[in-house]
Amino acid sequence: MAAPRAPAILLLSVIVSAGLLRASAARADEEPPPREDVEEAAAAAVAFPDQRFGPRYVIDEVLVKGNSKTERSIIVAEAAALGLVQGAAVDASDPRVEAVRYRLLALGYFLDVRLSVTRGASRGGVVLVVEVEERGTLVINELFPSTSAATAFWGGTDISETNFLGRGINLGGGFVGSTTPVVAGAHAGLGLRLRAAVPPIGGPYGLSLAVTGLYNDGSEFYRVSGADDDPDPKNFIATRVKRAGGIVGVGKDFRSRVHLRLDFREEALKAQLPTSPSMMPVDFMIKDGSSRVGSVTASAEFDTRSDPILPRSGMRVALALEAASGLVGSSYDYVKTTIEGAFYRPMPRGHALGFHLFVGGIAGDAPYFDRFFIGDLNLLLPRRALGINFSTLPSRNLLDTSIAHHRYDQYAARALVEYAIPIWRRRGFIYGGDAFIGVGLLGVASPGDFIPPGESGLRSLPIDLTGDLGLRLDTYVGIFTISIANALSRTSF
Amino acid sequence: MTRSRALLIAVLVAAGPALLGATARADSPLPQRTTGLAVKGGQLLISVGLQDLFGPAERQHLTSGFSTRILIRVALQDATVEEGEPLALAVQRAEIVYDIWDERFSVRVTRGLGAELRAIAPTAEEAIWRATALWQFPIADTSRLPPGGRYVVLVRGDLNPISEDLLKDVRRWLVQPARGQRRLGAGDSFFGSFVSIFVNPRIEDSERQVRFVSQPFALPAPLPPAPPLPVTRSGAGAGKARP
Repeated sequence: MAAPRAPAILLLSVIVSAGLLRASAARADEEPPPREDVEEAAAAAVAFPDQRFGPRYVIDEVLVKGNSKTERSIIVAEAAALGLVQGAAVDASDPRVEAVRYRLLALGYFLDVRLSVTRGASRGGVVLVVEVEERGTLVINELFPSTSAATAFWGGTDISETNFLGRGINLGGGFVGSTTPVVAGAHAGLGLRLRAAVPPIGGPYGLSLAVTGLYNDGSEFYRVSGADDDPDPKNFIATRVKRAGGIVGVGKDFRSRVHLRLDFREEALKAQLPTSPSMMPVDFMIKDGSSRVGSVTASAEFDTRSDPILPRSGMRVALALEAASGLVGSSYDYVKTTIEGAFYRPMPRGHALGFHLFVGGIAGDAPYFDRFFIGDLNLLLPRRALGINFSTLPSRNLLDTSIAHHRYDQYAARALVEYAIPIWRRRGFIYGGDAFIGVGLLGVASPGDFIPPGESGLRSLPIDLTGDLGLRLDTYVGIFTISIANALSRTSF
Repeated sequence: MTRSRALLIAVLVAAGPALLGATARADSPLPQRTTGLAVKGGQLLISVGLQDLFGPAERQHLTSGFSTRILIRVALQDATVEEGEPLALAVQRAEIVYDIWDERFSVRVTRGLGAELRAIAPTAEEAIWRATALWQFPIADTSRLPPGGRYVVLVRGDLNPISEDLLKDVRRWLVQPARGQRRLGAGDSFFGSFVSIFVNPRIEDSERQVRFVSQPFALPAPLPPAPPLPVTRSGAGAGKARP
């Protein structure tokens, strides 16, 4: 297959697949027909003029049932936050009752919550009964089983317990380990994370505190011979870098769907840099021996997506600004800015169109692991696991450009268009499933290499096509993505 | 590089039929429920029950002492158009409250923007019937419907519906319980992610739903005028018709 024809064939495959999917799933949405006007009519017509209906009670006592693990005080505090306390009056149709139910569900500790009243000591007095059904609060955030030409195997997982000791403490950790990469000077990789976060102080919209500890002992690979698009591990040498440190952060959710965070990070680094076996100079993007990274990150997020798993409308925009300086003990001075956006638009028959944008820039001298890595941007490449790279694979270079030269860069951008088609809805174990296709363009660069010598036009631009095609499933036991990018990125040769 | 491109394209092409197979299983028609139809006073009326909106658990919750809300939405559609616009829409909302001292149910019902009707029901069965039965429920002015047409009625009942905004929040809270330790820049989407495993309870926009479609029908003949009430010897009036 001639290389220049490959991008065209890929695009054709993607477009044909999308067209066939659209045609075959035309009747996939089992919602009764055009519902927007039905919803509007319902909203306009259903409100009772008088919200109050039924008797009024006075709460003699608050009783909690079903909480074998969760502290009673956590549950009672949620009711008290809306005034449902001993001595308070509550109507049978009081909207605070439903609000308390959903506040408790929002904690993430319960499958279901029910509020009821039983007779109190005298007529009008009641015992408010809050009955909860606890859920499993262990979350597997990620699995890292993968293989590549450079590293025969790396694997691990990231797990959280979201209600540790029944006190609402989120305790999580992750690890990844690898075999020794077949790159000169490389060591087996090990990455560890330990996280803890206390519940927001004063309810869902209070301040939340979090701390993360990290330890990485891994290698990074640097080309010393061979063509840019040759991933043979023999063309690379490896550093050994140990990182130990942590992040302390504070965050706050706002009712306007805005989330703000401030993080303080300190890390001690120890790097062993190899000597290049050739005359080719190598920029290892890290200081030899011991050094430190210290930074402050301010970030903001605005999220109005209709669903975090299978969104049909809304948007998510996130901005982050990280500043590392000697003022906070850093050996590296840099400012890193990232902007992410995802915008969803509903389409006929329950389909959805999504636009995903990412733009990032670094001014200054950041260590390699804080720069933009091609594997994190290109869906068709192995991503780093807990910040460690295990692959020598360059970008796929589907546009036959200078992208293969790039691994860690100071500027990055990616734009993806995603089309999602509902496959399942409300069917037992699998609540929902979308077939999705995403196609996009990415670009990376560092100062001075926008136009390599001797190149011009499209070939000189460090850009590439990326994309994905697969199924995204929302099930009783979590979220699963079965896709081409996942397969390729985990078996990358 | 040529090898990897060829592999990529081969996988893409192979995945297409697998996805197509999955999509083919997605379609499922709404169940049909026999619905009473009549024309009276120029109005198309339907009569059908949605008592199955209450399962055993929902019946038990009915005596919680707090209100239970029921929303029923009805749409009239042209039966010959597979997914056309509704020709008419109608809504009924009801609320049931159990009085824990008097041990009886209070029910109130409104149809569209109409007046609120209140009743006392001694049993849960009667309360459910009053709140969920559409009895001679007007859904359309027959003068606005083309003569000779065939129609179906789509019905959806919701128990304790919640607002769209609240539904979004609950979904987000359950999927991202660790919101206190989110880190931006990690890509808060499932693009590229393989798996996230957790107990993921199903959250709908109401606690329970019933959906069905009526049998296809042509406009029935108008109901004949009511027969004259029988005159009793004592001269007393006859009993009231059921509402």
